[in-house]
Amino acid sequence: MPLPKIVARAAGLASEAGGTALKQLQHVRIPGVGQTSVTDDPRTAARRWRAVTVLTDPEQLRTATPAPLAAFGDRLEVRVSPAPGDRGAELAARFRGPVTEEEIGQLRSALREAKQLVEVGEVLRNEPQPHGHRAQTPQGKVLDGMDEQASKEGVL
Amino acid sequence: MKAATWTGVNEVSVEEVPEPQLLNDHDVILKITQSVTCGSDLHLLGGYIPFMRAGDVLGHEFIGEVVEAGPAVRNRKVGDRVVVAPFAACGNCWYCKQELYSLCDNGNANPGITEGLWGQSPGGCFGYSHAMGGYAGSHAEYMRVPYADVGTFLVPENVSDTRALFASDAASTGWMGADLAGTKPGDVVAVWGAGGVGQMAARAAMLLGAEQVVVLDRVPERLQQVREHVGAEAVDYTTTDVLAELRERTGGRGPDVCIEAVGMEAHGTGVAGVYDQVKQQLRLQTDRPTALREAVLACRKGGSVFSLGVFAAMVDKFPMGALMNKGLTFRGAQVHAQRYIPELLERMARDELVTEHLATHVLPLSEAPRGYQMFKDKTDGCVRAVFTPGS
Repeated sequence: MPLPKIVARAAGLASEAGGTALKQLQHVRIPGVGQTSVTDDPRTAARRWRAVTVLTDPEQLRTATPAPLAAFGDRLEVRVSPAPGDRGAELAARFRGPVTEEEIGQLRSALREAKQLVEVGEVLRNEPQPHGHRAQTPQGKVLDGMDEQASKEGVL
Repeated sequence: MKAATWTGVNEVSVEEVPEPQLLNDHDVILKITQSVTCGSDLHLLGGYIPFMRAGDVLGHEFIGEVVEAGPAVRNRKVGDRVVVAPFAACGNCWYCKQELYSLCDNGNANPGITEGLWGQSPGGCFGYSHAMGGYAGSHAEYMRVPYADVGTFLVPENVSDTRALFASDAASTGWMGADLAGTKPGDVVAVWGAGGVGQMAARAAMLLGAEQVVVLDRVPERLQQVREHVGAEAVDYTTTDVLAELRERTGGRGPDVCIEAVGMEAHGTGVAGVYDQVKQQLRLQTDRPTALREAVLACRKGGSVFSLGVFAAMVDKFPMGALMNKGLTFRGAQVHAQRYIPELLERMARDELVTEHLATHVLPLSEAPRGYQMFKDKTDGCVRAVFTPGS
């Protein structure tokens, strides 16, 4: 294999590793400290309600499902309930049938976007940002992978 | 345009980078007038917060002029001179409505990283790694600021750029520590660290009515600034037994409020200092909490400890027994600057709060690498290095 191709392949693997590392970060178990996220088996994880609290009247969400969630169509169950203490509405969603990890990531991202559209009116963008020379190091590629997946990962 | 970037562990460069663009309707583009180094940048520089990518633009404490505004921006216009909060906050979520702006639900475009680290994601901070949103920082000729109506503040005409600059972070962080720690008239307040934030926390405590304010540090120039410009008492912890000194000054009680303005790279002395250094270098603990431990041990029973210094992950040998058994209130936060900047600018306009002395070195942006080196090494009396990208 020619050297540039080997380097490109290695960079691709590092970037992929970043995304994977981010997935693992939320499943880290540190003895005596606990964990930052659930470690459900895939079937249970797929059935768990994923929710954001939106500072709005619950009726607004009941009347019109935010577009990022509506885009999933019948594949998604959506639940809206009042949040306690004047915190607005709890907007929760889960898939009706079996799903992949990628689809759960898409749901996380859709819930976050739905919240932003209701609260702010637009979805925050952070690309492109001005930056200097990006050295093509393995660590850098790992971080690129994390960055790419960050809107789809987390404990949501 | 030119910008100061992080290019590797303890490496800062000045590079040519693309100009920023309006990405959201609530954005403005600023022409940066002044942008200053912050102690928390050193954790990024040193690789202690491992989410920096080579080429990332540094800087989160700054002042500038609006040169472009998005269509949804209502309260700012081209030509406005503004100081800016370091955290991007939407102003509409529940946390923003509680004035806990650095916890904004909608300010960090990379929530997956910090949720994995901490269980929930705080807001995003400019020039402060991809974990905090991946925003380009302010050590540049131009910068994009999202949620501009919420995070930018008009500077009164009679307040100089250099004074207003520190309302962005050092003064608002210091004020927040004194305020949220519950400082009341008659309190004795001890502050660990005489950098910009520590000095401003001490000044805030005095303005909030504290009876006695003591600042602890080891750098002579900083201790002198505390005496001369802040008006608080200054103690060199390398020549004084801090706990004994504080007991003696407080009738044996200990300070009512203890504010830690040092963070995860605290300097330690003796065996404990060596222990922390070794453990951190071996990555057996991520943060060195030397000052924080001392603050907890010094605080009076039922008192309040506030962590203003930045911590990233795990600390070791934390005196939880003292915290619990002495009935302490422990609190920390990244800066809710939007909450404090308006009041700080008013106090600056009335000369109650002066900050110009913190800017010990004012340099063109091209000298950013030298400025950071002096700031990191605390050489040449450097308290803060201020860069002037337009000059």
